[in-house]
Amino acid sequence: MGLTSPALMAVVAVVAAAALAAILWYWPRLAGRGVLPVVARIGALGVLQLSVLGLIFLIVNSSAEFYSSWSDLFGDQSGGGAIVAGQAGTGENAVSSQALAPVTVLAASAVAVPDRPKEAGGQLQTVRLYGQLSGISAAGYVYLPPGYGTRGEAALPVTVVISGDLGSPSNPYSAGALAGAAASQIAAHRLTPMIIVMLPAEVGQHDQGCLNVPGGTQADLFFTQDLPQVIGSAYRATPPATRRWSVVGDSSGGYCALQLAMTSSQTFAVAAVPPGGYTAPPGGAETGGSPQIRAQDDLSWLVKHQPMQPISVLFTGGGTGQPFVTAARPPMHVGQTSLPPGKWQLTRVFDWIGSTLQPPAVRS
Amino acid sequence: MGLMGLTSGFFIGLMIVAALGSVAATVWLWPRFAGQRPAMMASRLGLIAASQVLVLAAVLAFVNGFFAFFGSWSALFGNGGSVPVTVSGAAASSRPIVVTGSDLGPVPGGSALPEDANGRLASKPPHFKGKTTSPSNVAVAPGLDLKGGAVAAARKVGKVLQITVTGSHTGIVSAADYVYLPPQYFQPAYAHVRFPVVLALTGYPNDTWSIVRWLDLPSSAANLVARGKIGPAVYVMMNVSVALPRDTECTNVPEGPQAETFLAQDVPQAVEHTFRVQAGRSGWSVLGYSTGGYCAAKLAMMYPYQFTSAVSLAGYYTALQDSTTGSLYGGSTAFRDENNLDWRLKHLPAPPVSVLVTSSLVGEHDLAGTQAFLRLVHSPMRGYSLLVKQGGHNYRTWVRQLPQSLEWLNQRLTPAIAPSQQAP
Repeated sequence: MGLTSPALMAVVAVVAAAALAAILWYWPRLAGRGVLPVVARIGALGVLQLSVLGLIFLIVNSSAEFYSSWSDLFGDQSGGGAIVAGQAGTGENAVSSQALAPVTVLAASAVAVPDRPKEAGGQLQTVRLYGQLSGISAAGYVYLPPGYGTRGEAALPVTVVISGDLGSPSNPYSAGALAGAAASQIAAHRLTPMIIVMLPAEVGQHDQGCLNVPGGTQADLFFTQDLPQVIGSAYRATPPATRRWSVVGDSSGGYCALQLAMTSSQTFAVAAVPPGGYTAPPGGAETGGSPQIRAQDDLSWLVKHQPMQPISVLFTGGGTGQPFVTAARPPMHVGQTSLPPGKWQLTRVFDWIGSTLQPPAVRS
Repeated sequence: MGLMGLTSGFFIGLMIVAALGSVAATVWLWPRFAGQRPAMMASRLGLIAASQVLVLAAVLAFVNGFFAFFGSWSALFGNGGSVPVTVSGAAASSRPIVVTGSDLGPVPGGSALPEDANGRLASKPPHFKGKTTSPSNVAVAPGLDLKGGAVAAARKVGKVLQITVTGSHTGIVSAADYVYLPPQYFQPAYAHVRFPVVLALTGYPNDTWSIVRWLDLPSSAANLVARGKIGPAVYVMMNVSVALPRDTECTNVPEGPQAETFLAQDVPQAVEHTFRVQAGRSGWSVLGYSTGGYCAAKLAMMYPYQFTSAVSLAGYYTALQDSTTGSLYGGSTAFRDENNLDWRLKHLPAPPVSVLVTSSLVGEHDLAGTQAFLRLVHSPMRGYSLLVKQGGHNYRTWVRQLPQSLEWLNQRLTPAIAPSQQAP
């Protein structure tokens, strides 16, 4: 009879029941004094105990499938197998792995700084970025500081700017305005030379919060895992582990920036966002029908319920009583600055980022 | 562990004494209940039931201690739902790993060592002998502050440390986990060499000591290194369940424990901060059995830039939810899908990792699921299988599969090579 066979279980169950019935019925016969009746009692109890324990073992074992056979139980199985490489399968429904380049540069132009030579401003590239893990392909811009191609081998810090209207020149957060402000600060030696990656908040459908839509667009995966690889593969960028990656959002990208810093501080150590409550992503949350996921998408809930993250956050503009300012404790640092509206805002943001970023690690 | 700890010798001994006592009492009181009245019958049944229950309890306590399912009362019953999540940041982030005990490593092939450096480690948890040390005087790597004979012994057999890990991002605290530092870690030739890391995960429910005692991981690795089959590596052994008695399935539970982030990000960061190990992808892999196998595959697939490869010993590949897990996915089938590795392979780009899955042709009920998972793997992910003819869902089967699995992992990790071994 097999170790997991129902027949064996039935036999042991019958033995247990019979032992119990017999003990109860014949009890008086074993009640005598002397060695023999005492031994008989112990024996009877022993049979009952063993059959009950055996039955329990058989039931547990067959439901959990710990030991599949007697030989398995008593350990005379031996020998291994060979490691076989699976066929590079083409799963029927598998998303075809497109061999897209991580970075495709579509156009490039010089960034002008007033009263400075042409090459002092750096370069603004129009790019398409492809994330291998998320499968997301996003259009954006990359700013490279002056001397990027000629400077030594030092890897540069990275700031990711998330803004909804990068392409429109009138927007203070347009790619051109961002590049110009950064170039001016770098030329004035007020900002450490850095790479600036500019992307829209909506890199996938149904999401403006840079979140992983359950069962859908994995935008969070794109920003936190793909982007460091993409940028690192094509540019001389420092890896996020150096804590020299920051993220900036405007009114449309602020939720993204704060969300990414609060949930992925391994990637983004520094964030600058407009003041706000940040209780839900712009355009509403895609939560897969889960109230718990909706609760987590509320960043003011997050700051109260998860441990403080090792991040520095600047709220750019007035406004008081934000949950973040009152709730933050080390290692989370929150700053506020009241900024006049206008193009100088970016200058102040870059100033702050420059002063907040970790200095480059010194190798001994 | 206190005197009345769930797995303490005293408690298990007490349970055995109580069971034997109840049997003795039944035998002793037997003649008093020999009458034929119904009340007598009921008393007999009561006596028998009492002794049965006590014997069963003693057997369960013994088996639990033996196989290390639940390591403590709080692991078995929980700690009243008060999960200590809030951590005072500065203290936590400055020391993410605290060493709470230590012992010498296993002896390859069981060769003799000085008495102090006993070869009996495999039968004893280090905390039986290791004294608890406070963070201030615990030596953390690379110093490890060993003196005299301890240094000589560690250079021969390495060390097994008992550690407590505090997740700086998740606030999750996992105690009584272990790290095996190979002998080379202490040898002068390797003083400036960074070692690759294998993160090893238990099944559910388990005490982490099971990986040392039953999976035999440190001594298996020591033997393979001694025979020149694999290079030395640091083995970080963690309990896959971060909130026992709950089965968290290494999932970021909405509004609950962020087990995935803890194992995939907090633990590697803490280990890289504490020990002389390599950072990131090319130096890290993850291995586990049963629930730990699912988690090994899942963590590698979700964090391919942290783990280059994974070994899943008798794992499964769909997203489990049952009475031991409670609600893991916030009631969202879409989020549950994301934790289903088959679903990920069908709906998301395949990650650039290698995964070795093991099973048995006879005796492992998840064979079909394993083969189905393997068929879904596609480039750039690579799938490998190791099937044995027969073997159940138990350590004997996994112990047989372990050496080949470690050799397979070794081929995918950046080796630790002492400068003298390097080609000029």
